[in-house]
Amino acid sequence: MAVGARGREATSQESVEPAAGTVRASVGRIVLMSLVGLGVGAAAALAAIAFVDALVWLNDALLVSAYARVQYEGQALLLGAATLLVPAFGGLLVGLIVTRLIAEKRGLGPPDAILVAQTRQPAPSLKSGLASTLAALLSLGCGASVGQYGPLVYLGTLIGGLVGGLERHVRDLRAIAIACGVAAAIATAFNAPIAGLVFAHEVILRHYSLRAFAPVAVAAATGHVMANVVFERPALFLVEFGGVAHGHEFVLFAVQGVLSAFLAAGFMALILAAGRLAGRLPLPAALRPALAGLVLGAVALQVPEVLGIGKETLRFATIDGAFTMPELALLVAAKIAVTALCVGFGFVGGVFSPALLIGILAGALFGLGVAEFVPVAQSGMVPYAICGMMAMTSPVIGAPLTTILIVFELTRNYDLTIAAMVAVVFSNLVAYRVFGRSLFDVQLRNRRFDLSFGRDKAILGHRPVQAYMTDDFVALAPDDTVDALRRRLKAVGRAEAVLVDATGRYGGLVALHAAMDQPGETPLSTLARTGGVVFDEETTLWEAMTRMRDFIGEAVPLVGADGRLLGVVPEGAVIGGYMEAVHDLRREENAAA
Amino acid sequence: MRRPECLLWLFAAWLLAAGPGSGAAAEEDRRLTVVTWGGAYEAAQRAALFAPFTAATGVRIDIVRYDGGVAALRDHLAAGGAPDWDVIDMIRADARTACAAGLLEPLDPAIPAPAPDGTPAAADFIDGAFGDCFISQLVFATVIAYDDRAFPGEKPDSIADFFDLERFPGRRALRAEPVGLLDWALRAYGVPRSQIYDLLSTERGFRLAFRRLDTIRDSLVWWRGGDEPVRLLTEGAVAMASGYNGRFFHAQVMGGAPISVIWDSALLEHNTWAIPAGTPDRDLAARFIRYATSAGRLAALANRISYGPARLSAQRRVGLHVPTGIPMRPHLPTASRHRALALEKDDAWYARTEALRRRRFEAWLAEGEDRGAAAPSD
Repeated sequence: MAVGARGREATSQESVEPAAGTVRASVGRIVLMSLVGLGVGAAAALAAIAFVDALVWLNDALLVSAYARVQYEGQALLLGAATLLVPAFGGLLVGLIVTRLIAEKRGLGPPDAILVAQTRQPAPSLKSGLASTLAALLSLGCGASVGQYGPLVYLGTLIGGLVGGLERHVRDLRAIAIACGVAAAIATAFNAPIAGLVFAHEVILRHYSLRAFAPVAVAAATGHVMANVVFERPALFLVEFGGVAHGHEFVLFAVQGVLSAFLAAGFMALILAAGRLAGRLPLPAALRPALAGLVLGAVALQVPEVLGIGKETLRFATIDGAFTMPELALLVAAKIAVTALCVGFGFVGGVFSPALLIGILAGALFGLGVAEFVPVAQSGMVPYAICGMMAMTSPVIGAPLTTILIVFELTRNYDLTIAAMVAVVFSNLVAYRVFGRSLFDVQLRNRRFDLSFGRDKAILGHRPVQAYMTDDFVALAPDDTVDALRRRLKAVGRAEAVLVDATGRYGGLVALHAAMDQPGETPLSTLARTGGVVFDEETTLWEAMTRMRDFIGEAVPLVGADGRLLGVVPEGAVIGGYMEAVHDLRREENAAA
Repeated sequence: MRRPECLLWLFAAWLLAAGPGSGAAAEEDRRLTVVTWGGAYEAAQRAALFAPFTAATGVRIDIVRYDGGVAALRDHLAAGGAPDWDVIDMIRADARTACAAGLLEPLDPAIPAPAPDGTPAAADFIDGAFGDCFISQLVFATVIAYDDRAFPGEKPDSIADFFDLERFPGRRALRAEPVGLLDWALRAYGVPRSQIYDLLSTERGFRLAFRRLDTIRDSLVWWRGGDEPVRLLTEGAVAMASGYNGRFFHAQVMGGAPISVIWDSALLEHNTWAIPAGTPDRDLAARFIRYATSAGRLAALANRISYGPARLSAQRRVGLHVPTGIPMRPHLPTASRHRALALEKDDAWYARTEALRRRRFEAWLAEGEDRGAAAPSD
């Protein structure tokens, strides 16, 4: 009896030991992750507050804000000069910073945040990140028609990336720390912590693992505390609204969503087109933002509402009678045009704030149009303005859940949230078909990171197959004989050889079975099989997998652009790499503590 | 850096040495001219500040009345010679403007005494109380009040109701100055308190505000002196009127006037003490300000008229209304439930838009006169 009991004890102890180790490791990870959330959250929130404060100060000092301009209202010449020159000079500075200090030669923003979080490739340098933030601050400070949230997202990424790089033992820490920074920055700037949390998952991480969720939530809550308790920031947007009075209005919201989708798609297409146009102009990149600033200033002389973020215009759009329909139509068109120009021509900033403004103006236009032409009762302008705002913004940033939550957190109004939800989902659905999931995703696709079929394809499509290349193969010259082939292959136990000439150029494959019936002195060049599957330096794991479907053989040759053979990729290595990548993704998405 | 600091210490030491009481006999023949607003407010100041100051120091106080603004001070100083005015009670926005125009002496922030419990004045006064040329003494509210007899049924209770002639018919009285009415007109559209002045900085904001005022233009009566709205309401000449909360309170409790106050969007402003530039009695003026801003005196003032003391220690000392025994704290603009509804007047914005507001307001008035003149001839 005694012996048996002791035996059981021993076995149970053995099985508990590793479990205790796992628990200890889990607790350690939970503590570490929470600290990352807290630290990154606090730092990103402070940075966001500083950024927004500096921007407001610049707007006042440079006579961009209405509040600053009103004191010089008698001096039309001074105001005109400021309107025309401030964006132009700001553009000049931005152009110099972007071309001299940023290695990437462009402003960094959400697409870079997504790329850094999704892949293991090195992030843009700290210097580039800081310079990009400075350029964004100058762009926004000078009244360029760009958004502040894109730079804030990158600022969060920068801080998260720094912290995430410190500790290399926890997998996915970099991605999670970046998500923390982004969530805190958005939570602070918008005063919307839930939206910040969801944005980080919906746009940056693209999954909802418990391991990431907890620290990101901590970071968003930290941002909220900073914005509300420590610094007492006012909410970005306050609106009083009684409620949606009529059921049939939800049909109108859906229609509005569909129309907004086309507007959003047009807006995004115009931004990309402006970027292409800028590239074709015979103008140095450093001078492009200055040109955009000059045009913006000229437009602003007539339509001052296009300058900057336009928070006054945002508010007026919800007031009945503040604008006539022609005024709204003009403002929508002007804001779209100058935003495309500013973003395309290299001012550094996002597209979120301009999209909010364009959307709310278009929404107000829709509301007025309904009142004018549709003989049904409606409950005022407010729901149409808000629905328009969100239905325009959501497809641009590709985050329907986030936008719905922003409405909820900013207005705390259930009716408005439901109305916005209807408009947002229809808008996203249509814009996805017409344009793509978001401006960020399309920009990334142009940089060969295609998220339109999910993370699997994007990550496999971004990983070069060259990483799985080996030089363990049998190489023979084209003028070697079948005898030599048989000898070599027998020695190493292979069934295939690669032909490489004296200069290292690839000359095809020779399989043992093709050489079986040939006389021993036949030169191998006559038996070479070319035109089969061949990889190059650009081939990604995803392409490799699809192309290897009709591949028969041992290994695929990898040939450089100059035609030289670099190595071969064995079939097994490709499958192994694919399995490993997919396994990593699933593990990341399902990771708990 | 060292010289002003040194002077400051000397000045503080002098203030301590020459506290109330000392040297009273020598100053018996000295006089101090204080410029203030008249009416119930002046009466309260006499009882709570001027008479006790004379009793303590022997300095007689001469009172000059004015209706606020910067023009009166500018005219007085422009008359030439040493000014007769020693201390002036100004609205903070006007004090800022006057200070920027060089019409006021710079004021030492060491002038106000610490709180009775030793809290330094800087921590005891409310935010924004210290300016380069002024020290806030109290917070008053410009509110809308209505004649209870005019609305036997539903009572107005928001700023939007002031502009709603359908639900609340009757004439409206507003001060004939571009102060408050634009802010209220925009508030009536539902613009949040925090954004009023941003929106009023735009052409569109002005247009919207005047458009709202257009809707009640034909029912408007204009007042100038602070006692007029009370009279207009009690006489039944208007159904609603803007006015200073202290005057309305005084009429309610002392005169039994059937007046109620709407606290929504009450425009909060500071009354400050300042010293006109070039006054020969600068030291005496500073002594008066130190005395008048002490916690005890500010509370005594608030016990006579319902303006909130600008320092916390004084707010805590406010008790019963001296003539009637009504508890005063719920009637002060600084009461938390009133603060929550109030609109903090942005006097930096007011100072920036002085000329603009006046020009637009006068143009709007003229536009109405043209229309009024055109109407009968049609």
